[in-house]
Amino acid sequence: MKILLVEDDKEAAAYLRRALSEAGHTMDHAANGREGLMLAVGEPYEVIVLDRMLPQLDGLAILRTIRSAGVKTPVLLLTALGGIDDRVEGLEAGGDDYLVKPFAFAEFLARVNALARRPPPQEMISALQVADLRMDLLRRSVSRAGQRIDLQPREFQLLEYLMRNAGRVVTRTMLLESIWEFHFDPKTNIVETHMSRLRGKVDRGHAQELIHTVRGAGYCLREPD
Amino acid sequence: MLRSTSLRLAVLYTLGFALSVVLLGALTLYSTRAALSEQFDARIRSESAALTQEFATEGLDGVVQAVRERDRTPGALDYGLIGPDGRSLAGRFSKVSDEAGWSTIRARQRDDEEEPMRVLTTNLPGGYQLLVGDDEERIEALDTVVLRGFAGALAGVMILGVAGGFAFSRDVHRRLSAISGTAEAIIDGDLNRRVPARGSTDDIDRLAHTFNRMLDRIGALMESLRQVSNDVAHDLRTPLTRLRQRLEAAQAAPAEQGEAIDGALRDLDSILDTFAALLRIAQIEGGARRAGFRQVRLRELAATVVDAFAPSAEEAGQSLSLEPGEDPVIEGDAELLTQMLVNLIENALRHTGEGAQVRVGIGLTDRAPVLWVVDNGPGVPAGEHARLFDRFYRLERSRSDPGNGLGLALVAAVAKLHEAAVRLSDAEPGLRAEVVFPR
Repeated sequence: MKILLVEDDKEAAAYLRRALSEAGHTMDHAANGREGLMLAVGEPYEVIVLDRMLPQLDGLAILRTIRSAGVKTPVLLLTALGGIDDRVEGLEAGGDDYLVKPFAFAEFLARVNALARRPPPQEMISALQVADLRMDLLRRSVSRAGQRIDLQPREFQLLEYLMRNAGRVVTRTMLLESIWEFHFDPKTNIVETHMSRLRGKVDRGHAQELIHTVRGAGYCLREPD
Repeated sequence: MLRSTSLRLAVLYTLGFALSVVLLGALTLYSTRAALSEQFDARIRSESAALTQEFATEGLDGVVQAVRERDRTPGALDYGLIGPDGRSLAGRFSKVSDEAGWSTIRARQRDDEEEPMRVLTTNLPGGYQLLVGDDEERIEALDTVVLRGFAGALAGVMILGVAGGFAFSRDVHRRLSAISGTAEAIIDGDLNRRVPARGSTDDIDRLAHTFNRMLDRIGALMESLRQVSNDVAHDLRTPLTRLRQRLEAAQAAPAEQGEAIDGALRDLDSILDTFAALLRIAQIEGGARRAGFRQVRLRELAATVVDAFAPSAEEAGQSLSLEPGEDPVIEGDAELLTQMLVNLIENALRHTGEGAQVRVGIGLTDRAPVLWVVDNGPGVPAGEHARLFDRFYRLERSRSDPGNGLGLALVAAVAKLHEAAVRLSDAEPGLRAEVVFPR
């Protein structure tokens, strides 16, 4: 995957480049806003990672410019400001996701991956399928190997999120934000508990496990190898 | 003092006033003079008419008699009766002209001074002429009276205006100086100074109050900033020291590096958490988020939180439930209110331990929306209730438990932002935390 990183901190950029290449991606780096804008508009990238505070041209200004130039590439905003207003501002300017510094690389990679394969928004799908697990989005029903699974509304939401991101790692924070809208990290292991309950319903009694724990990163729902 | 706005205004007003007095004076003078000379002429005209009538009825002798008589009366007009030959028959006036009509002549007065006289000549039958006139000085004397009156008024206006202006502007100046003096003192570092107010509701007092409120706000912000710096300096030092020791140990014993790095990362995460919590509290106390207030359904919000935490509580042998009740809607920040409730619930679950029964309630007390969390734990001695909301304050018995001592400080900050009151009370057994929102 080809990623553009617009970030003025050279050490951070070098670290991300190394880590991304280990994960099999290539990365272009722009150290200032002007260069970032030129690359973002001129080159085809799968994901753009944009620091909010940049010399010469502010991250949000770049974002607005590339969106008005018709570039639809998903953008992950990086910021040291974590307030709700900053997030809202970033998303309203055309950002797709938001990550507050400092972050763990696993979190960064999970979010970049989630953005890269996000289906185009127009596409209306009525059902999701991973291996023998099937989710009917219209009837709000789930079955595995033809067997109906009864889920609580929150569990349904959780499973839907995992299935939409099938094959990709989703982190605790991604789940907290999208399922419960908690933009802070509770001390209690609520994600783990909900996930283990969901697992009990989805995987118990089946030879193949679909929901996997990725140590130090999060969870992944994927087809058995 | 001379540069003061109020004095300049007073002087300007005084000048404007003086100018109107002068204009008014000129107008009065003009109109009294017109009225007076009208009256003056009318008197002469009616006197001439009376004597003409006398001539017609009583003949020449009658008129001569009348003129002589009047001449002796003090304060009367002056007369002249001229024969057809041009000689004066009676009175002090001699012939002026053949023509009848008004003329101004200089004539000797009774006091032997020559004065301008206004004279009306009337031609009588038989070539006789009647002259009736009066001293023009009478009009001028009245002019002088009017002018003197207005000059006095003008002087009065000027003196009162300037003196009043000085007094008024000294007062305003003194009050404005108090404000700028306060500002100067604050610039020099005395942040506790406030502008004295007089206790009235005039504009300067209102300005003083606004100014003081602004200073209070700045003071509160400074205080919160100072608090954060102090907190960071004092309370992050311990975990940072621990982190350093761990890394030193790892350096000394390469075999255990993996474990040491895990430990260091955990320490670092907890430091970052503390840091984020402090910044968040400071940001909330800053009050900027009030701009983003929306309508929040408290019951819905509580249901989401309880639904999220109930499974973990059950697994830990605890219970968490939402009590039935009203469904108030308040103006607020849903994200912060969620975090507040989460902190209260986590607090209750953590400090009660196994067997905890935590109940969350949303309702109305005296029409005020209320959110409460009750546990069945050991409770907190009443004397410590207030201090629990201080940053980093922890009860003796829970010092070794996980947590950064900021949970309730954040609750207090969120409540304050919503102008809500937080109260802790003994639930016998357990602790009841209650957030009462404004009606």
